[in-house]
Amino acid sequence: MERYHTDLLVIGAGLSGERIAVEAAEAGFDVICLSIVPARRSHSSAAQGGMQAALGNCAMGEGDCPDVHFEDTVKGSDWGCDQEVARMFVEAAPIEMRRLAHWGVPWNRVVPGKSCYFKGGELFEKYEKEEKAGLITARSFGGTAKWRTCYTSDGTGHAVMCTMDNRCAQLGIRVLDRKEAIALLHDGERALGAIVRCLRTGALEVFLARATAVCTGGFGRLYRATTNAIICDGAGAAMLLDTGRVPIGNPEAIQFHPTGIVPTDILVTEGCRGDGGTLLDVDEYRFMPDYEPAKAELASRDVVSRRMIEHMRKGKGVPSPYGEHLWLDIRHLGDAHISTKLREVDEICKHFLGIDPRASLIPVRPTQHYTMAGIRTDKTGAAYGLAGLFSAGEAACWDLHGFNRLGGNSLAETVVAGGIIGRHIVEYLQGTPAPTFPMALVEAEVARQQARIQDLISGRLGRENVFTLRGMMQDALMEGCFVFRNDAGLRACIARLQEVLERTSRLGLRSSGLGANPELAAALKLPGQVRLALCIAAAALARTESRGSHNREDYPERNDRDWLKRTLAYWDEGASLPRLAYEEATAVFELPPGDRGYGGGKIIPADPAHIAAKTRRPHSAC
Amino acid sequence: MSTSFVLVDRPEVRRLSRSRADALWDLIQVLSGLGLALFLAFHTLLTASVLLGARVLDAVAGGLEAIHLDTLAHWSVPVLFLVHFVAAARKVPFRWREQQALWAQARTLRHADTWAWVFQAVSGMAVLLLGVIHMWTTIGAGAIQAASSAARVQSDGWVILYLLLAPLGQGHAVVGVYRAGVKWGVFQDVHRAQVVRVGLFVLGGGVLLSLAALVRYATL
Amino acid sequence: MSRTLTFHIFRYNPQDPASQPHLQDFSLEETANMTLFIALNRLREEQDPGLMFDFCCRAGICGSCGMVVNGRPRLACQTKTKDLPHEITLLPLPVFKLIGDLCVDTGSWFREMYTRTESWIHTNTPFDPTKEEARMDNAVAEAIYEMERCIECGCCIAACSTARMRPDFLGAAGLARIARFALDPRDERTDRDYFELIGNDFGVFGCMGLLACEDVCPKNLPLQNQLGFLRRKMGITAIKQLFRKD
Repeated sequence: MERYHTDLLVIGAGLSGERIAVEAAEAGFDVICLSIVPARRSHSSAAQGGMQAALGNCAMGEGDCPDVHFEDTVKGSDWGCDQEVARMFVEAAPIEMRRLAHWGVPWNRVVPGKSCYFKGGELFEKYEKEEKAGLITARSFGGTAKWRTCYTSDGTGHAVMCTMDNRCAQLGIRVLDRKEAIALLHDGERALGAIVRCLRTGALEVFLARATAVCTGGFGRLYRATTNAIICDGAGAAMLLDTGRVPIGNPEAIQFHPTGIVPTDILVTEGCRGDGGTLLDVDEYRFMPDYEPAKAELASRDVVSRRMIEHMRKGKGVPSPYGEHLWLDIRHLGDAHISTKLREVDEICKHFLGIDPRASLIPVRPTQHYTMAGIRTDKTGAAYGLAGLFSAGEAACWDLHGFNRLGGNSLAETVVAGGIIGRHIVEYLQGTPAPTFPMALVEAEVARQQARIQDLISGRLGRENVFTLRGMMQDALMEGCFVFRNDAGLRACIARLQEVLERTSRLGLRSSGLGANPELAAALKLPGQVRLALCIAAAALARTESRGSHNREDYPERNDRDWLKRTLAYWDEGASLPRLAYEEATAVFELPPGDRGYGGGKIIPADPAHIAAKTRRPHSAC
Repeated sequence: MSTSFVLVDRPEVRRLSRSRADALWDLIQVLSGLGLALFLAFHTLLTASVLLGARVLDAVAGGLEAIHLDTLAHWSVPVLFLVHFVAAARKVPFRWREQQALWAQARTLRHADTWAWVFQAVSGMAVLLLGVIHMWTTIGAGAIQAASSAARVQSDGWVILYLLLAPLGQGHAVVGVYRAGVKWGVFQDVHRAQVVRVGLFVLGGGVLLSLAALVRYATL
Repeated sequence: MSRTLTFHIFRYNPQDPASQPHLQDFSLEETANMTLFIALNRLREEQDPGLMFDFCCRAGICGSCGMVVNGRPRLACQTKTKDLPHEITLLPLPVFKLIGDLCVDTGSWFREMYTRTESWIHTNTPFDPTKEEARMDNAVAEAIYEMERCIECGCCIAACSTARMRPDFLGAAGLARIARFALDPRDERTDRDYFELIGNDFGVFGCMGLLACEDVCPKNLPLQNQLGFLRRKMGITAIKQLFRKD
């Protein structure tokens, strides 16, 4: 059996994973990155829109500073985020954007002079200043007070991913693709590495590491309709949940995107609405201003998604063989704009719908989009429960996003958090002696995984079909735990998921299981995925309020009195439901809870004395 | 490297040959090819001038001889021919494994430019053989005259050589000029379709012209 | 209107001693808006769970699903079945090492390419976090991005006769990578530096100009123009070097 030793094992080679790897390699540590696909195919590369950072270079971003960005982020999170984390993030983001520019990202730059832009379907003019010419520019995105989203045409994630992977190549970091971690190695106190299945040969391999970082992205594929890539299946988060020691933070905090195309749920960027695209109903009537007079289509994602579902429930949806949808209209943006700034959108329409967005409306509906939920870590990125274990990016609940993340904050988080947490990992490696790896424990875990594989191939425990069960799990979440949630639906969802979980103990393959067998890969991860799905549903049932993208029809108000806190979901061995615990959402408030200014809804206020005791004034001003 | 960069030093980074020979051979290939194509164009026009009458041909040929262009051609063309062969042969798949790969590729891909290159390799070999025979028999055989050319075409079997050589040579030249143009970026992507149309037109015209001339020689 | 599609799919599992390379036939009822992504997943879930193929983003962004569809290398996720005849032959991309069925190892190929082209910005200027970023003309940024759009799907390599005959050839993807850095003012490499990387038959002079890369690229990268640009640049560098002592 192949065995690797390294200082730092990074599982997942998307932007956050590689950013961490770069930080550790620059400090002189040996790093191995594992990825189930070639690194540049990671889902980071699919993020089209951009990265938020308060550089304030462009005309519409004038006067921007980290404080304004901080305020937007905390409001966006519906006060669910950790405000210390948000502060760290907004301060570091502009420097990180400049660092990326230095490493090679071709950010779009300020072009001085007069130019036009659309907002809410209307044409406006702006003047870019001569003295800002050639600095990193920004575009508008939902839920922000300033134009703050740095971008490269509409392939920001792709461009930054290329640069980061180039940087890894430059530093000689071993980035090994087609390697899937299937179990974390740990001794109950400390993470020791992982057992990995090679997706070229099917062989099991052992990776031993002084520190392990899990950066495996989100878990949208637990849902049937999702904008996420196939690989965003939650296997990384589930692997840590399976240790019984590491909790999932706020599992119920799942974001939905208003504009996935019908039927394939491929995302069309928020940039469409940012640049002036509008939403129309069956009568081709623009309905968003009726619900959100101030922000209309530019209100935050959860608000737009909810309003869309609400409007469709009023019978204003467009019927289709794939269910109801609404229209996205970007026709008025014109050929020049669509061919350059929105080229990827243009291509998606051509390749997957066979329509021309200059002439036709785009069919869209809300779909699962982002998991604010994730492996709970502290401010330094250290996972709760095990030493030497870290997590960053969408996989983690660092908690920048709370119950709703802003467009452009997540892509920025990958690199900003990657940099910050990478430095903490370096400190950890410098300050912690190498463990002695208990080989008996490693051998036992290898044997346990080999036995699981053998049981699946032989069908000793049963012949349940992995694809059928996976489909049941996805449908259960779509029906009971989507944009709107209620008590009865969530209870039914949980019962269904528990049935699926029980049946996963009898999974058996229909194919040989040899080599890079896809059925085996699916079967190995399904029980963990179902446990993760149960965390989502159970936490959603327990949280009897509506906050951010968690919307309870039976509890429509945001309840700061009882729920200004974060869910921690643990999975005890042999359990059929997660164990839920809670902690304060944030240790300190810079911005005390208040109204977001969009989304409507009633707020049950928290005890003012409690809030006041924890409130600190902002330490920087601009 | 001429500049030193602050880098992790890894020996595998510099694996490629540092030889400049490949670049020079590539330049030689394109320049010799263009020279030959230019010569062929002249040659085609000269031999086709017989269509205007034997006397016209003799007059044009005589004029060229007066400024010693024939002597120039008699030593430079064989040299260019040889050099072009050596330079181009570096890209021709002589090994069995390469041949197999090329044919498999051309068959599955169904891509005109790939087939055009297969034609280029095959016609190149044919022109090499036929061209050497042609040069062997003409160089040193004295001045070009309508009568002597007609006699050569009319002597037994030779017409077959010219029926093959003329279109293959012209095809090779036209495809080669197109290929050189796209390879060196003289023809850009937006002009490609147009260039192909012009190339086919020139090729068609050239082949017609030389076939007509051949008929004229055969009946002179 | 509904057709029955017949798929002829290359099957071979190198890890299974009993497996022999062959084409296997599958039938599938076509549905509206069907792409090869939808079709292949249905075949896996309904007919053969062992069928190996790669998809990731399924939106034409990541480059995972390059395969040979009726003779042409292309992205399966953005191939609509309604644009194909009812007989569909699917083969893995040639040139790359086969992993199984329709999966090939593009990852290793491209990682080696990064090393060979030194696919990163070469600069002696250290990053200064206290300074504002170096300015750049927006048109330059957009030109760089135009080349950065490569998704490394491998279609250009699979379509390239030179790559097929000579496994060491860098191919359009590798050469376009050099073109991307040659455009970038932040990269301090000179033409002579680039010449050492690609000024030979494994690099730009190995290209025979067949343009299959240009014709199959799913992102429509301007490969023809960039290859021409590099060849001129490297040709001129070669001539200049003839007249230099060092």
